[in-house]
Amino acid sequence: MSGVDEPSAAIDDSAALVAAIPYARYLDIRIETATGETGRIYRMPFRDALIGSPRLQALHGGTVASLLELAMQFEVLIAERQARLPYPVDFSIDYWRSAAASDCHCRCRLIRSGRRVAQVQAECWQDDPERPIAFARADFLLRTADGAEPSNDA
Amino acid sequence: MDETLDKRDPAVRAGIAARFNARIPYNQAIGLRVVDVSTDRIVTALAYREDFLGDPTAGLWHTAVGLSAADSTCGLAVFLALPGLESIATLDLRMDYLRPAVAGHDLRIEAECYHLTRCVGFVRATLHQGERERAVSLCTAAFMRTGQPMAVS
Repeated sequence: MSGVDEPSAAIDDSAALVAAIPYARYLDIRIETATGETGRIYRMPFRDALIGSPRLQALHGGTVASLLELAMQFEVLIAERQARLPYPVDFSIDYWRSAAASDCHCRCRLIRSGRRVAQVQAECWQDDPERPIAFARADFLLRTADGAEPSNDA
Repeated sequence: MDETLDKRDPAVRAGIAARFNARIPYNQAIGLRVVDVSTDRIVTALAYREDFLGDPTAGLWHTAVGLSAADSTCGLAVFLALPGLESIATLDLRMDYLRPAVAGHDLRIEAECYHLTRCVGFVRATLHQGERERAVSLCTAAFMRTGQPMAVS
């Protein structure tokens, strides 16, 4: 998937990355560096506040979308060694199955990373990685090495 | 389903919206408020919280907070546009992030269900911080009608 990682350092850095982003901290996102070729897994632990439908005991779609957007953003941040979170241009999500009241896991695929824009996909699953519950894609603006932002409009 | 329900009546709409919002735990957790549902273009708001920041140094909201609020508000717009009290599910949703939302200011979400078929509700939303012409983000989404009644009382 992405470049070379130093596994133990990556885990420490990951916790610090999440801690630096209040909304990622609010959702309690965990970045878990799996060994082998699967790459990073982003996890959102279940809690009652994430429920969208009490009758169906289903997660709110916005929480799943938030996990996927944050995961793709962290993926670009780490893989492209960005100094700050890359700003998203756009995002879209397809909901394939309803999300049960349990943890969500997400894996990202950095499709293309150019000089200014990175294009990413993400998949979310709960119990079974072979039965994804949602798919998302997003584009992010990259910052140059000197930190300049190619922002649309401030 | 309640056949006598007049979803054109602003008081009825306000009552349905309040109950719809109150029974969604995540909307309650983030403090999403129903502001105005008297017309087809419904309005909700989210008060600023430090937990919502994506870039604390620059003082910017994380875009995914607006994304969550847009999902909820679009759902409410579709729900109010349906003839009865039918439960719905988000099929897909897209966000265009035009400019960042700045810390210290609330976020407003205005959503409109612009087309309804037997199975699907199509909806779009504008997110802004007071000036609709300076939108923070735009959202389009499609919701599936489940055919199942939804209890909102």
